[in-house]
This record gives sequence, structure tokens and C-alpha cells, in this order.
Amino acid sequence: MSEQTETPTSAESADAAGLFDRWDALRERESFSILGAIAFVVVFPMIFTNLPAYNGYMSLVELIYIWAIFAIGFDLLLGYTGLLSFGHAVFWGGSAYAAGLFSANFYGEPLLMVLVATATAVVLALIIGVLSLRRGGIYFAILTLAFGQMMYFLALGPLGGITGGEDGFTGVSVEPLLGVIGLDQGFAGVLGTVFHDISYVLFAGFFVLAVAVAVRIVRSPYGTIFQAIAENEQRVRFLGLNVWRYKITAFVLSGAFAGVAGGLHTIHAQYVAVGSLFWITSGDIVIITVLGGIGSVFGPVAGTVAFLYIENIVSGEIAFWLLVLGTLFVTVVWLFPAGIWGIVSSARSTVREQLSEDDS
Amino acid sequence: MSVAGSIVGFAIQTLAVSSIYILVAIGLSITLGTLKFVNFAHAAMYLAGVYVGLAVALELQFSGDLAGSIGLESFGLDLGFLAALAIVPIVTFGLGLLMERFVARPFYDRPDTDQILVTFGILLIVQELIRAFVGGRSITFSRPDWAEGAISLGPLGTYASWRLTIIGITAVLVLAVYLYIEYTDVGLAVRAGTEDAEMVNLLGIRATRPFLVIFGVGSGLAGAAGVVGGPVFSVVPEVGVGVLVPAFLVVVVGGVGSIAGSVVGGLLIGAVEVGLQMNAPTWSSVGIYALAAVVLLVRPAGLMGVVEVDE
Repeated sequence: MSEQTETPTSAESADAAGLFDRWDALRERESFSILGAIAFVVVFPMIFTNLPAYNGYMSLVELIYIWAIFAIGFDLLLGYTGLLSFGHAVFWGGSAYAAGLFSANFYGEPLLMVLVATATAVVLALIIGVLSLRRGGIYFAILTLAFGQMMYFLALGPLGGITGGEDGFTGVSVEPLLGVIGLDQGFAGVLGTVFHDISYVLFAGFFVLAVAVAVRIVRSPYGTIFQAIAENEQRVRFLGLNVWRYKITAFVLSGAFAGVAGGLHTIHAQYVAVGSLFWITSGDIVIITVLGGIGSVFGPVAGTVAFLYIENIVSGEIAFWLLVLGTLFVTVVWLFPAGIWGIVSSARSTVREQLSEDDS
Repeated sequence: MSVAGSIVGFAIQTLAVSSIYILVAIGLSITLGTLKFVNFAHAAMYLAGVYVGLAVALELQFSGDLAGSIGLESFGLDLGFLAALAIVPIVTFGLGLLMERFVARPFYDRPDTDQILVTFGILLIVQELIRAFVGGRSITFSRPDWAEGAISLGPLGTYASWRLTIIGITAVLVLAVYLYIEYTDVGLAVRAGTEDAEMVNLLGIRATRPFLVIFGVGSGLAGAAGVVGGPVFSVVPEVGVGVLVPAFLVVVVGGVGSIAGSVVGGLLIGAVEVGLQMNAPTWSSVGIYALAAVVLLVRPAGLMGVVEVDE
């Protein structure tokens, strides 16, 4: 997001080209994305809470970080590896239940809950991934959808005794962080205006971590092969690489991100709804990621901000907000496959070309 | 009840549930087989069938004043439902043509993920439009008067005539479409297109026209399914997806591109659903997904698969 700060004034446009080159070199660095994410969590709440008709408090901002982690992970699969899963709610909801059940039956330390949630998601992703990845394309989408719905109905019916069935799981008990620091403990002074309380630091911290890990994966040789698979699977196979191994890795990695997010959501909401496993949740994460722009780390973040803003704020003004969202979604798929982030990027390069032309 | 009786009872219930899945699945299966087009918006055709059908049935029902004035009332004749069954497939056939021309065609050459995404978005829009104009609450789509009551099959038991009606209507529609695909030129082109779309184009047959027609036929069947399913399932905007997902399972279980596959897949899914509903109700929804997953893993092309739509 911090990339938007790039708006050279007329005085600077003289050696704009040189500046741009330096800017590009800076952006290429991995630490740039991480610093960008840190800057984002510092600045974002102040900007966001001043948006029109905003009437919540930090809760929605925290929710955005949690969903953004989910979306970033989902994009590793859809945007980078080219696999469209319609059952990712399993990893989000399944890990949310795992975190909730762990806190109720053992000990509700937040980091432990996230750990248990992530481990659960990884196991689920391994099982479902091994089964679904036998087929590609639409079969993969339908298989993941089928496994997702199966888990939903399992939680709703046969496992209702443990999950609370239709009522959801209400027994969540979140203990202080590391046993001593209460999540609702606030900060004093300047620190307080920026970081609010410990829970904000927890969610924002995991968000920054997720960005850092995702950037690392994407920049690694492994991530490059993901992208090569999305572009031309056959070519990768002919190169002698085991495509299936990379696909299952991408699937499990994206499941792990969803697990972290699901665990955090249980800590945030202190409740697990059975709807978190429903196919609509899988649809939501597809919409979020595509809306924001696939194949970039910040696209899904932009999508999350837009989706949650429409879902929570705009819905108060417009009764049929889903109609707005649906239309927006179809427009993006049809005309702007690069999503919101892609529109921002292309606008930026247009401005840049303009400036470079003025220069020469 | 005798053993034979309970078998017949199970079969009739299964056939009734399967009918609706089969009608929706055929359109999905053919477009997937011939055009390699993944159509989540097919559920919108079912929804159109339900809501347009309901409107037609309410407007034209003969239990009204008009029916009374010409004495049809005494027969308990309710032609509103039959009128809906005649009109709705024509309407959804037209919608299918529009859908093919303006949505599907621009997306044939794009990745299948884009097709899934755009049709999913359109389904969302249709669902929300219905919610905006009709409302989200459940509406009653009552059965026609003539299908109330029960029919006795002698020693085999007595069954709701409504179930038998659904089965009859489905059988006629499926048979008609089967004959159409099997014995007409359009059907020939479609079947050839299922085998090798490129070759059909090379032979100089403009595959677009049969494909357009087949898209319409599939949509017509989904519309008919909406009319038939209206009185069976609840009438809410979300019911489209509720039927679409099992229909997709029918397609993958039966095998893509074949009408017989849709029938077999539909019967299998229906049998599992009904069987579990009778014996272990909480497992019935889990069961159909498990069945689909198992079939796909053991026989990836489906039980009667004609084509691979992979990669």
C-alpha cells in the first residue's frame, strides 16, 4: 500500500526517470514489502476509521487482518499456482473449531491456539489435497467443493455433539498471552493511539508475518515453479519436475495460512459458527482474492479491505449490498482480471509513462 | 408392509428425488462435455424455473373464477401448473440462448477458472435480484390439485401421486432430449463435438449453432426442474445452489457429456440420499459427497464418462 506514496511533484519530474529506477530497485527488495506491511498496520487504522459511515471501532480493522491472512494464503494457490479451490472454508472453519475445542478442553493460550489451528489445517490440507489434486481444472474445483460441503454437514449433523451443530461452538475461553499479558490490555500515550491494545498487536503482528512469509515463498525458487505451473503445467513436467509435489505443497501452504487465520478468528470472535465451514465462506474468499487481484501479495489485502467494508459498512446503507458486490465481482472478472490492485498498478504505470514522456 | 412393498417405496422416493437432480444435471453435463464450459449460473436457470413457474401457476390456475364459470372447477382441474410446465422451459430456453451468446461465448477461450468465476458471479447477482424483487422469505409453491392424494399399487402399497407425477414428467423430458440428441442432425453435431470439437469445426460444420441450441435445451430442462422442484424443495433464493451442488455431483459421478451418465449418477446420488435419510438422517448429506468423492477417486472419468475434461 505504501507504494501509493509515489507521487512525484512537478519539481521532481525533471529527473523522474532516475527516481523511478531507484524506486524500482527499492521495490525489488524483499524487506520493502515487509516494511510496507508494518507501515500499513501503523497507518491503516487511522485512515480506515475515518472512512465515510465508519461506525465500528478496531474490531473491523482486526478482522481485516485476519481475513487478509486467509486471502494471501488462498492467492498462493489461485494466483500463483493457478488452482481454484472451492472448499477452502474447510481449513478456515476446521482450524477455527480446532482452536476453540483446544481452548475449551485444554488451555486457551492464544499462540498455542493458533499453533493447534495451523497444525489441524495442515493435516486437513494434506488429506484433501492428496485426494483432490488427482484431478485438475474444474474437477479440482468440484472435488474441493464436495469435500468442503462434506465437512460442513459432518459438523452440522454427526459431529454436532462436539461442534454445537447449528448453534456453533460457544465454549471458547481465551487466556492471557503467554499466560500473563491480557489481550485487552491497552497501551499508554503515543503507543496507545497507534497500537491500541495487545490484541491489535497480535493480529497485526500475524498479518505482517503472513506478508513476510508469503513474499519469501513467492520470491523463492519454489514460488517461481508455482508460477510456472500456472502458466504451463506441461512445460514444467517436461523439465523433469514433479508437478504434483509442487501442487500439494502450494495446497498445504495455503491451507496453513487459512489455519492461522481461522485460529486467530476464534480468538477474535470467541465463537465458531458452523457457517464458517459452509461453501459460502469458500465463495467469499474466492471473491475477496479475485476482487483484490490475484498473483500479488497486496492484491488480496486490497480485496479484503474492499469486501469487508462493503459487507460491514456499505450493507448498512444499501440493503442489497450483495448485489453491489456481485456486480463488482463480475465486472472485475470480465474486464479487469488483474483486480483492484491491478487497476492501481496500471494507473501507476500510465502516470509514469506520461511523466517519462514529459521528461524526454 | 411387504418386502417388495418397501423396495418399491424406496425406489419411488429415490426416483422422485433423483428426477430433479437429473433434469438439472443434463444441461451441466452436455455443456461441460461439448463446450468445456463450467456453468455455475445453471443454478440461475433452476431459480428462474421456480419463480417464473410460480408466477405463471398463480396467474393461470383454473381454480379461479374463470375455471368456475366454465365448470372445470368440479374436476378439481388445476391447469396453472401444467401451463407453467409448458411456458417455463420456453422462457429458460431463451435465457439459455442469451446466456450462451453473451456470457459463455466470450469465455470459451479463457481459462476454466475464469468461467467458474464469472458464472458464480452471475448466480450471485440473479440470487440477489430475486431477493430484491420477490424477497428472501420462503414462499409456498403448492402442488396442483390433480396431483394431490394417493395412488394404490395393490399389494405394493399406496403412494403419493405427486411423486409418481414428477417421475412421469422427468421420464418424458429425458427421453425426448435423449432422442433429440441421438437421432437429429443437431444431436449428431453435438455428439461429435463431445468427441472432438476441433474436428467438427474442421469438417465445416459451424459448431456454434448446435452448441447454442444445446445450451438452450439444457437451460430449458433446468427450468422444467424448477417447476417440478418448486413444490418439493423450499422456494427461497438459495435453493438454486442447494440443487446445483448435488447436480454437479451427479455429473461427476455419472460421467461428463452423457445423458445416460446423468441418469445413472442421479439415481445413485438419489438412492444414497434417500437410503440414508430413512436409516441415518444426519448422515444423508454427508453420504452423497462421500459417494461422489469415492467414485471420482476410483473412476475419475465417472461411471459412464465419455470424455475427459481434464487439464
